Amino acid sequence: MSNKYQVQFKMTCVKPATLQPKPENSITIAVSSRVLFNMDKEQQIFEQQGMEEYIKYQVAHETEPFSPGPAFSFVKALEAVNTQLRDLYPESEELFDVVLITNNHAYVGLRLINTINHHQLFIERFCMTGGNSPIGYLTAYNTNLYLSSDPVKVREALEQGIAAATMFTQEKMTEVSETQLRVAFDGDAVLFSDESEQIYKAHGLDKFFEHEKAHENKPLDHGPLKGFLEVLGKLQKKFYAKGQRMDCPVRTYLVTARSAASSGARALKTLRSWGLEIDEALFLAGAPKGPILEKIRPHIFFDDQMFHVEGAAEMGTVACHVPYGIAQRVPERKGLKDKEVSSIK
Amino acid sequence: MVSTVTNTDVKQKDVDQAVVVAVTFAAVFEPETEDGSSIYRLGVALPLVQVLQRVNERLLEKNPAEHQLFDVILITTESWQQQQNSSIINSTRHHGLEVGRFCFSTEEDYIESLMQNNVQLFLTTDGNEALQATQQGVPSALLDTNWVSCPSEQLRVLFCEKAIFQLNMGSTEASKKSAQNFLAHLGQMKQKFGVFDSPLCFTLVTSHGGKDNCCCALKSLRSLGVSVDEAYCLGGAPRGPILSLLRPHFLLSDGFSLLEG
Repeated sequence: MSNKYQVQFKMTCVKPATLQPKPENSITIAVSSRVLFNMDKEQQIFEQQGMEEYIKYQVAHETEPFSPGPAFSFVKALEAVNTQLRDLYPESEELFDVVLITNNHAYVGLRLINTINHHQLFIERFCMTGGNSPIGYLTAYNTNLYLSSDPVKVREALEQGIAAATMFTQEKMTEVSETQLRVAFDGDAVLFSDESEQIYKAHGLDKFFEHEKAHENKPLDHGPLKGFLEVLGKLQKKFYAKGQRMDCPVRTYLVTARSAASSGARALKTLRSWGLEIDEALFLAGAPKGPILEKIRPHIFFDDQMFHVEGAAEMGTVACHVPYGIAQRVPERKGLKDKEVSSIK
Repeated sequence: MVSTVTNTDVKQKDVDQAVVVAVTFAAVFEPETEDGSSIYRLGVALPLVQVLQRVNERLLEKNPAEHQLFDVILITTESWQQQQNSSIINSTRHHGLEVGRFCFSTEEDYIESLMQNNVQLFLTTDGNEALQATQQGVPSALLDTNWVSCPSEQLRVLFCEKAIFQLNMGSTEASKKSAQNFLAHLGQMKQKFGVFDSPLCFTLVTSHGGKDNCCCALKSLRSLGVSVDEAYCLGGAPRGPILSLLRPHFLLSDGFSLLEG
């Protein structure tokens, strides 16, 4: 039995080489364990054998790192942006701050921390809620974006006004840039409200195009991810201020079913009225999004429709679902497997 | 002059195996009596006393012959309280509180009383009392009036680097040992229950230092046999918001050597 706790156990406070930004100054990205890492095998143990076995298994394999999950490359890209920001603005706290938020128990968490260290991720904050809902903590940490594999928690977060999306294990994840963060957004019900999408659902695509042309100059209401685009824009301006407009380490994309000829204008005018910029706007006029995303290679793509999320994922783009708006209530064209199994994330 | 009185209404706990927790009069009762009577009103720590009782009930459900139970004693820490001994006894019995015995002491000798009664944890709403007791080697915790009064089916204990008041490592070897003993008891009690529906919930919060600091603390607790449910590594973020979500009954740190840094 070790003697270390009979001796004065004075733990020196180790300051990491780079300091943690204060939550109010930084851009907080909360990720759950199952999106950061692949825990499919363990999830199965939990579902089939229950909690006690699951915890036992995790503790027994504590030093074995997990392999990367869907959000891994996104988190790595956030760190790359931080490195470049620190170079240009060494005193600034306007950085990405990744927080691990999981409802795993604390001892399972040790394996997660070991894995974080193994992959050299810079995550210094975490919440292991031991089964409680993490939603209270998201607000406590000024969270700007929450990524989880549990759609129930994601919906709860959206209801609290926190940008959130559901991520899924993907078989195929194409290679993405290690130096430039690329974030792609759908328009309606993601950046914008679902008001126009309601028209599309009720009356079809042509009516939607007509309506949008008619209301071109009336800005749309904002959607759940507008705030996130806004914070990305603030960081971009910091790079522009140092002459890095051409090669900005942060690049944003709008990938929408809207058409350039008619409904697209309203989208762009809305963004302009918000004072936001988007680097590339791709108007697909209803065409599938998979192929274009495959060309863009974003680290993450947000869409409110599972049809598009699945289409993108099939071609290797890390796509996540924003369960917001009318699309969630009206049945999908393609079959949507209900992922609402209660589980450990 | 310290006097100890047994509460004959309550079944006495096993001297060797019970975990003695002392709570001050001022935490359990309001300083005024109910109108026209000599019965004191219940104070902020009532839910705490009730939840300690609840843990005992759950332990006995599992094993009716269980001896490792909380033994709650009520201690007075001021002369005027000591003088009200019979009213205090009556009030306790009137309210049906599971208090095993009473220690009637003053500000001069309450610490001596704590030691004489082998108190393993001293709970008070008074910062100075907690500070002094810790310095004298009795593990103590300051009760926060915001959270201690939340009714609960579950005793929520929070481990952290510093409790509410600043304490400089005045604790002795002996007090560290007693603190660890207490933790070991808590751990053993918790082990008797499964992961779900446990009457004990242990949480670790580290405010400073990185995740490795937090992991060290988790491992220390684990090696003491304490099963931690929740862990929060704040990395410098303020503690207030998390604490109001967690609403612990008390915080343990000072005198507990795990997390000094």
